[in-house]
Amino acid sequence: MIEVNERIEVPSTPQAVWLILSDPAAVVECVEGAVLGDKQEDGSFNAKMAVKFGPAKVSFAANVLVAYDEANKSGSVTARGKDGISGTKFKTAMQFKVEGQDAPPQSAIPIKAECELSGRLAHLIESGANLVIKRMTASFAEKLAERCGGSKSA
Amino acid sequence: MKVFERLSQAFKAEGTTSVFGMMGDGNMYWQYANHKNGIKMHEVRHEGVGLGMADGWARATRTPGVCTATCGPGTTQLATAFVTAARASSPVVAFCGEYPTSDDEYTQALDQSAFAHGCEAAFVRMGTAEDADEAVRKAFYIARTQSRPVLLSVPMDLQQKEWDDDEPYTPSTAIIPKRTITPNQSAIEQAADMLCKAKRPVIVVGRGAMWSGAGDEVRKLAQRSGALIATTLQAKNWLTDDEYHIGISGTYATKTAIGLLSDSDVVVAIGASLNRYTTHEGLLYPEAKFIHIDPKQHVMLSRGKGAEHYVQSDGKAGVAALNGELEKRNFKQVGYRTGEVKEKLANAWEDRQEYKLEEGTLDPRPLCLALDDLVPNNINLFVGSGHTSGFTNILFRKTRPIVMPGHFFGCIGQMMPAAVGAVIGSGMKPSILMDGDASTMMHIGDFDTMVRYNVPLLIYCMNNQCLGAEYYKLEAHSMKVDTSCIPTADLGAVARAFGGRGALCRTEEEVKKATKEWLANPGPMIIDVRVSRSVVTLPYRRVHYGEDV
Repeated sequence: MIEVNERIEVPSTPQAVWLILSDPAAVVECVEGAVLGDKQEDGSFNAKMAVKFGPAKVSFAANVLVAYDEANKSGSVTARGKDGISGTKFKTAMQFKVEGQDAPPQSAIPIKAECELSGRLAHLIESGANLVIKRMTASFAEKLAERCGGSKSA
Repeated sequence: MKVFERLSQAFKAEGTTSVFGMMGDGNMYWQYANHKNGIKMHEVRHEGVGLGMADGWARATRTPGVCTATCGPGTTQLATAFVTAARASSPVVAFCGEYPTSDDEYTQALDQSAFAHGCEAAFVRMGTAEDADEAVRKAFYIARTQSRPVLLSVPMDLQQKEWDDDEPYTPSTAIIPKRTITPNQSAIEQAADMLCKAKRPVIVVGRGAMWSGAGDEVRKLAQRSGALIATTLQAKNWLTDDEYHIGISGTYATKTAIGLLSDSDVVVAIGASLNRYTTHEGLLYPEAKFIHIDPKQHVMLSRGKGAEHYVQSDGKAGVAALNGELEKRNFKQVGYRTGEVKEKLANAWEDRQEYKLEEGTLDPRPLCLALDDLVPNNINLFVGSGHTSGFTNILFRKTRPIVMPGHFFGCIGQMMPAAVGAVIGSGMKPSILMDGDASTMMHIGDFDTMVRYNVPLLIYCMNNQCLGAEYYKLEAHSMKVDTSCIPTADLGAVARAFGGRGALCRTEEEVKKATKEWLANPGPMIIDVRVSRSVVTLPYRRVHYGEDV
């Protein structure tokens, strides 16, 4: 089980950040290697995501369900997916919230997530996957900041 | 004649010239008869080492290796080596004494059938004295035809019975037909159809291709189809004289190789099992279609899949037929064999990551490159497993008469025995073994065996004073690494104490000097090279640190 407990800081107002985060298509654009697919009847989305574990690329086909609480500017994402070649599967549940800050940068997004990898590749890549996810989180913060109009995340 | 004498005659008739093992009361009379029959005994200090040597003999000579252990506790020492030989598909016959049939409460009694089964070995028991010939023939028949180790269990009391049959022994080779499996023409035409459509083909060769003598045909096929040549780990360094050889396909591939393999559209696998490591769970070849040439009826690939096109054939015969078909079609293309690819391959083995080395230690990477350069290509190379192999399997590139990597069963310590058996089996040709400190220490007692038989094997112990694999896994999990740090004595001095030669080296110059001394007069020797813990192998950096290297 990989646990993520990160706090992203973005130099934009909470409202500007929320505008991006409440649009699944915009969020996916901030995730490297991710492409959003069709919306399903239950409100979830199909998605594709390529993750590099070392120089090898694992391409996951996933189903993603996003729930928003606009009043609290918070949300949750649950996703599960599978790589057709290596048979690696993942399940993840993530909670996030947009918080205003008095001092710059103006917004902070605490993120908590649990990600479970399974399949034969999982035990080989899990310790490295931790670092890969950390790097992906940093890259997401960078892209989110750019998207919000800020130059970089803190 | 006693049955133990007949058993010895039968082994000799099967072609046995050397036996590796340890004497006990379950096999000592048979060993005595072997001595009288001119079969050379190599007495070891641990029965498992004896089986490991027989395994190495089998891998190097492609003839059954023979080892021996006494009943019960002698036999149970064979466990790890049995599984390793089974995973290596090595034909090995282990002559094991068994407790007397008249005494079920014998102290050393053991259910050797259940033991063999648990160790993935075949089991043959001599149930009556009259069955002596049949039991030996059956053991060798299974070893030869199924290419696996066999535990031949021979009750001690039955060995002492009289043998009064004077009929000559018929060896298993007399009943095994010799044949080469040739490919079906329509299967070759379909393979040619696929290959003609490929733009970026790759040929992956394994031990089957090597053993069938397919080298020249593989080179021809690669040049005609524009293919890169990659090997499995077990065929490491074979055909490296080809300028578009990219090394190992799988865990030990360079980043350049991974990039090129990932873009390939057709893979021609020859005598290669294409297991999970060779294909990195299939991720190395995400878009490729497979043509698989192998003499077995069929080979299931990693993830339980089959090749898009399977050709049942001996490696050499299959590739020759494919070359013939392509020639008939006048097919020749550049494919992957471009100047741009050649340029990429020129720097593929460079790893420029800098590390701060602990004082008095060496960076294993330039050391491996320097040794591969210094040690002439007529010297055999054996490569142990463990963390060290992440350097040696990638950085030693020369084609040599024998290049034998380990990794069967994922255990450490098994390559020294295999190397000794292979060196003896191939006529005592000078050889080097690259291994780690935990592996070297595991069977250090059998350096004594190397000395007694004057085996010309130089062991480079890449000594980072820790269990390397565990050290980096603990570190990657931010756990204290101290529990994996186990210092050794000066292993050069240990080697000298056993009567061999040895050196402790902390600089490249010291290693080169000791190597040159050994090259001038090869014999049993250990060079204890102190290497840095800071330097991490490429496979570990990918898997445990998530690095794109």
